[in-house]
Amino acid sequence: MLGAAACKGGGKPDASAFHIGVVTSLTGPSAAFGQAHKNGFAVAVAELNARGGVLGKPIALDFYDDQSKPDQAVQGVAKLVDQDHVPIILGAYSSENTRAIVPAVTQKQVPLIIPTAVADNVMESKSPWVFRICAGADAYAAATIDFLKHNGDPKTIAIVYENTNFGQSNVKSMHAAATAAGLTIVAEEAYQASSPDYKAMLQRVASANPEVVYFASYLLDASTLMRQSEQVGLNPKFVTSAGTGFAAAEFPTEKGAGKFAEYTFSISQWLPSAKWAGSTQFDDAFTKLAGSHPAYHAMEAYASLLVAADAINRAKSDQPKAIADAIRQTKLETPFGPVAFDDKGQNAHPVLVTQVQGGQYKVVWPADAAETPLVATPAWADRK
Amino acid sequence: MGVWSTAQAVLDGVLLGALYALVGMGMALIFGVMRLVNFAHGAFLMLAMYATYVLFERLHVNQYLGFIAAAALLFGLGVVSYRFLLRRVAERSDFMQILLTLGLSLIVTDGVQLIFGADYRQINFPLMSTSWRIGRLHFNAPWVLSFAITAVLAVAIYLFVMRSRFGRALRAIAQNRYAAGLVGIDVQRTQALAFGLGLATVGVAGGLLLPLFYTYPAVGEQYTLKAFVIVVLGGMGSIAGAAIAGLVLGVVEELTSLFWGNQWALVVEFAIFLVVLSVRPSGLFGSQRA
Repeated sequence: MLGAAACKGGGKPDASAFHIGVVTSLTGPSAAFGQAHKNGFAVAVAELNARGGVLGKPIALDFYDDQSKPDQAVQGVAKLVDQDHVPIILGAYSSENTRAIVPAVTQKQVPLIIPTAVADNVMESKSPWVFRICAGADAYAAATIDFLKHNGDPKTIAIVYENTNFGQSNVKSMHAAATAAGLTIVAEEAYQASSPDYKAMLQRVASANPEVVYFASYLLDASTLMRQSEQVGLNPKFVTSAGTGFAAAEFPTEKGAGKFAEYTFSISQWLPSAKWAGSTQFDDAFTKLAGSHPAYHAMEAYASLLVAADAINRAKSDQPKAIADAIRQTKLETPFGPVAFDDKGQNAHPVLVTQVQGGQYKVVWPADAAETPLVATPAWADRK
Repeated sequence: MGVWSTAQAVLDGVLLGALYALVGMGMALIFGVMRLVNFAHGAFLMLAMYATYVLFERLHVNQYLGFIAAAALLFGLGVVSYRFLLRRVAERSDFMQILLTLGLSLIVTDGVQLIFGADYRQINFPLMSTSWRIGRLHFNAPWVLSFAITAVLAVAIYLFVMRSRFGRALRAIAQNRYAAGLVGIDVQRTQALAFGLGLATVGVAGGLLLPLFYTYPAVGEQYTLKAFVIVVLGGMGSIAGAAIAGLVLGVVEELTSLFWGNQWALVVEFAIFLVVLSVRPSGLFGSQRA
């Protein structure tokens, strides 16, 4: 296979299209988010190709499914660069897998645009090949604390997090932000996702009697955590969270936590109601394709491809170096907001705080973006 | 940590441990009779979860009846895979058996992924949100129901193996396969049925786990490992030992989570496993087989 491709001139397998690599989790525990990525990318491809693609060619995405495993994500980079010869990669989905591929893209000297990885250590390497369009864990913690300070100013917080890079990074950020803001951290609990039972851990949290709980969870665990919070009678005044599972489209539906999701707060990076031009159109196109409204993960995938296409067109080149330099100069208005990267490769993206009200995510903070006032969280026993 | 919290954790541990027990009993049955570590155990558990899921979603079979069909399906699959696959490596090295069951596991997992995709799936039914309280103890209805069915079936399987003629044949083979053949037991037929029964047992566990959890193609992996731990703790093939070991594991997990935090649960679990392996290799609960 390899030899045959090389004989034909070492080019791409299909030279009539411009190939862009994507590493994401189409299968495994993160698949719900990987599918959101895929659909978000699909909307972007359709839109960009309708406008003529890049460098006169239609865009074709080469997907590599990392099966939600970091080692597979690294293999994906090798495969996409060495065999498919893509000049740019988008992905991965999770913080864990993204951190794994940062050294790989740096070594192979191919630019990487990170759509969704929130852990701040994915940007720590200061690699000139790495760009991130989403906000990170520090921004999440800062926004959550800011929100709490202006809404009742609670004094105690418990942090509950899934024990991989995403959760660990968020607990680190929240620990620092809460301490700086004078909150007392009364519990810090790590858990392994993919367990059917978190009741004992939630009891530990309940016995510390925190006013606020901050969850950093993926979807499968977020749903179980909320159902079991009711069972053990964990009744904080604020259930807050680092987005992700608590911000997934499925979470407030029967496929997720259903009515147990009600009143929970979450960080969000984008909602269909966002003020940036194109948000509604993306919502419509995505809904038509996927059958459900998009959460911010899909938008971030979409926006990362817009940024990539813009850079390739400005670079007028299919060479990784030229594309990376063009990404560095990005000044693009997107439905995800304006995108520009600082010298560390980070895009300054504002985050929102949402609350589940009547099964819908509603923006409640910051005040100038709020759609509706927040609703106080009743104790489980008082709900019907 | 208060008395009530501790009592609740023990209770939850027993409820969870009963399901572990059933998973472990299936593995112990297979190991006892065939000296085979079934690395596809978790994959078959997952298959049972999907079978129950399909019955519930497509055919609207009650979530507490689906496990019967799932168990029957797995019994059939067990007998067939014994006849066509496992029998061929029964006399070969352990390595061949490991390869074969691992291969089976991959095929089942990827097959399900091809058909259903990698999405996690959950069933929703009104009872999910029903709970009872006794004092400050909390009983979630689906957990209690799954436990009740599990307990009855675990006892039934135990009695079947210990009392029935077929069970005696199983135990005879476990003690000495060749002597059992000499006294007129159809070893291959009995082993085929034993493998079927072992899978049916894990099938029941899968069917009863679904209402408590969610399923996705890779959900079984962690249970293969747990079943392995349970079989070792329970004394390499002892069914009663596996049942007790499953319960112990459930309670240990919950208490560890309560007192030290959830991230220590697996550490403690495998620490016990290693200690038992090195100090008492015949398992915690005697050396009686099957």
